[in-house]
Amino acid sequence: MTTSDPTTVTPSSLEELRDAVLDRPGPIRVAGAGTAHDWAGTPAPAGTVLSTTGLSGIVTHNPGDMTAEVWAGTPFAQLQARLGEHHQRIAADPAREADGATLGGLFATADSGPRSLQYGSLRDVVIGATIVLADGTVARSGGHVIKNVAGYDLTKLLHGAHGTLGVLAALVLRLHPTPQVTATVAVPCDRAAMTDLARRVADSPVEAAAVAWHDGRLLALVEGSERGAEARARRLVETLGDEAGLLAPDDATAAWEAHDAAVRARPDDRAVLRFGVIPGSLSGVLDGLDTDTGGLTEVTASPRTGIATVALPADADVVAAAHRRVADAHGTSTLRQRPPGADLPAFGPAPASAALLRQVAASVDPDQRFGRGRLAPWLPLPSTTVGATA
Amino acid sequence: MATPTTATGPTTGPLAADFAAVLPDTCVITDEVGLRSYECDGLTGFRQVPAVVVLPRDAEEVAACVRVCARHGVPFVARGAGTGLSGGALPVADGVVISLQKLRRILEIDVENRRAVLEPGVFNLDITRAASPHGLYYAPDPSSQQVCTIGGNVAENSGGAHCLKYGFTTNHVLEMEVVLADGSLVTLGGPTGDQAGPDLRGLFIGSEGTLGICTKVTVRLLQTPESVRTLLADFPSIEAAGDVVGDIVEAAIIPAAVEMMDSLAMEAAEAATGAGLTVDAPAALIVELDGPADEVDAEFEHLTAICERHGATRLHVPTEAEERARVWKGRKAAFAAVGRISPDYIVQDGVVPRTRLAEVLTRIAEMGRDAGLRVANVFHAGDGNLHPLVLYSEAAGEHDAAEELSTQIAELCVELGGSLSGEHGIGTDKACSMPRMFSPDDLDVMHRVRLGFDPDSRCNPGKLFPTPRLCGERPGPYRPHPLEEAGVIERL
Repeated sequence: MTTSDPTTVTPSSLEELRDAVLDRPGPIRVAGAGTAHDWAGTPAPAGTVLSTTGLSGIVTHNPGDMTAEVWAGTPFAQLQARLGEHHQRIAADPAREADGATLGGLFATADSGPRSLQYGSLRDVVIGATIVLADGTVARSGGHVIKNVAGYDLTKLLHGAHGTLGVLAALVLRLHPTPQVTATVAVPCDRAAMTDLARRVADSPVEAAAVAWHDGRLLALVEGSERGAEARARRLVETLGDEAGLLAPDDATAAWEAHDAAVRARPDDRAVLRFGVIPGSLSGVLDGLDTDTGGLTEVTASPRTGIATVALPADADVVAAAHRRVADAHGTSTLRQRPPGADLPAFGPAPASAALLRQVAASVDPDQRFGRGRLAPWLPLPSTTVGATA
Repeated sequence: MATPTTATGPTTGPLAADFAAVLPDTCVITDEVGLRSYECDGLTGFRQVPAVVVLPRDAEEVAACVRVCARHGVPFVARGAGTGLSGGALPVADGVVISLQKLRRILEIDVENRRAVLEPGVFNLDITRAASPHGLYYAPDPSSQQVCTIGGNVAENSGGAHCLKYGFTTNHVLEMEVVLADGSLVTLGGPTGDQAGPDLRGLFIGSEGTLGICTKVTVRLLQTPESVRTLLADFPSIEAAGDVVGDIVEAAIIPAAVEMMDSLAMEAAEAATGAGLTVDAPAALIVELDGPADEVDAEFEHLTAICERHGATRLHVPTEAEERARVWKGRKAAFAAVGRISPDYIVQDGVVPRTRLAEVLTRIAEMGRDAGLRVANVFHAGDGNLHPLVLYSEAAGEHDAAEELSTQIAELCVELGGSLSGEHGIGTDKACSMPRMFSPDDLDVMHRVRLGFDPDSRCNPGKLFPTPRLCGERPGPYRPHPLEEAGVIERL
């Protein structure tokens, strides 16, 4: 194991990226803005940190086709601002964008926000990619059209790969029009009541873009045209009863900012877990975790997608038990914060597909150069450490 | 005890005997007549009689069949309803066809959580039929939805007329059970959009049967929209209709569907269905908006104004569901209807960036004139997915010219920055064109991923990837993508 600091390289073109992969020996840790450096598994020592932040900006934006190709190291918030000038956006709202997270980083960590209820996650709006493999091979998949079934959808393999398997150089995205109006309806409720209320939102014909519970109230977001969105929001208020109300624009912004702040909170000496279960099981799993852990904090939950983010004690047994509880409910979970020095399990019990993942990894990155440790133990560290030091 | 006949080859006997040990006799087909009914899929120009066809009844039996194939080292091809249009379910000589037609149970419609759990042989439309009493439906709706299966949809990443707004199969599948080439069963994906580790589910969807066999699939169900409004509008030119689509996009409207037909396609469709199309109009659009009534009403007003601004010669607004269904029938029947105006025809499937529609149609018309063949056009205008129908007469010896024109059209789509296929897949049909769209390195990486799933390449070999055997010794050369030529993208 090396004790010297790793060398950071920051390529600013596809060619430099490829050359860096070829020129640097041994394991490489891929980093974007570093906002998820302690998510998933603990990185193994690597002689090189490959920063994607030099690969930044829009490669092409075709407003008429509603597509854009973007360098992976582009800060997401900056990208949204640029697209917004054309009244377009990427229909994704991961909380980490406020911390400067990059497009590639958000994609590699399979991050998503409340709007995934309507639009899915970044995996659902990325239509192509350029990737660099550990042997320097540059490959493209997908393309610049939203409808395309030619060849494997290789891009998906890097969604959630946490910097393993390959490096994202650029992504091609499907864009959506920016809605003219967004309106938020809020109803105070405890966690026990959120499931039924969210169900009422879902059963009404207004088609909410997001439904999230945080800090004692349920928020429902409606997006659309000037005439349509407000009428829909009013219908939603009627559906949800006397306690529900349409938030004034500033209050709505503040409510969602508070929600996002909780999602990306980094409470001292706590671990953060994000998990997903069948929506109907969410409330029960949260209650169980509350009991198991002696009290969850920073709880945000999307009762219609079944996804929640919670903080719990940074204790290996507690975190392992939390993963198990989610797995018992047939869900998935990933560690999102590991206090410095803590050795906490990143994932729950390995699924049968972990063997498949190892085979695919062996085929595309046989020496496991990229992101060693990030998917451990599902993708265990290689038994030999040849080339582990620079 | 099974006593399978062994008419097709020296290896069939022991292979069939091993299948007979894991399946009842009636589920193992080895007779010539029985095998022949599996010799092709919807692309009937390619035919190959397999050595054996097996019809397992559940996932365990599928896995057992795959293990028999592994033991004998023989390739296998999974088959749903056989409606594919790219030869993806074409059998392999001396190989096995594993039909999923007996796995056709809807295992669960979970109303509260809005999902359905299905066996792969369930017909696409039957999902919506089962969900609709609960006010729910399954969004991807390929034209063949009455007869195509969800397992086939997973293999092809099927779309449909409404995928502009709602996405493709990959956007609606949450979880799958898959049998891998070694006979092991794994689950890919999970119960929510949350994901731990790489998205192997997304990689599998659209892999055309080359990574394994899907034996169970959980899909998302959506709420039936409160309001659906459809507009049929005629235009004086294809360009005018294309401009309308551009303005719809500009107006931040995402229609559920935007379909365009040219006069030749309308002539055929009208003759077949009497859907109310104007046969002498140069172009028509079918635009469908759906969603909350407040939103749809506002958008519909806007849409009508856009059509009028671009010189629509007729606006027809079907008000009853039945009338709307008739318009859609006219559109969906257009392929088959072309048989009324031409003895033979080839359905092509390519994609261009939407803003290049007018250009591609002009080029297609020129290419048709040069080849002395007529081309009818039906397409999903919102996403640039073209379905040119090349009309020809086999009897007049026009087959080869028609094939050539059809291939040229698909490759033209790539040249214009698009794709070889929007929904029919690569299969056998377009494997040799893949080097037009992807570099050797791109294809090599896909192949390496495939070897991770299937080290011996026994899952549906010969599909999707160009092979010397299929394409001759020299598959078509890679040509630079236009964005590459323009210096917008680089290929190292």
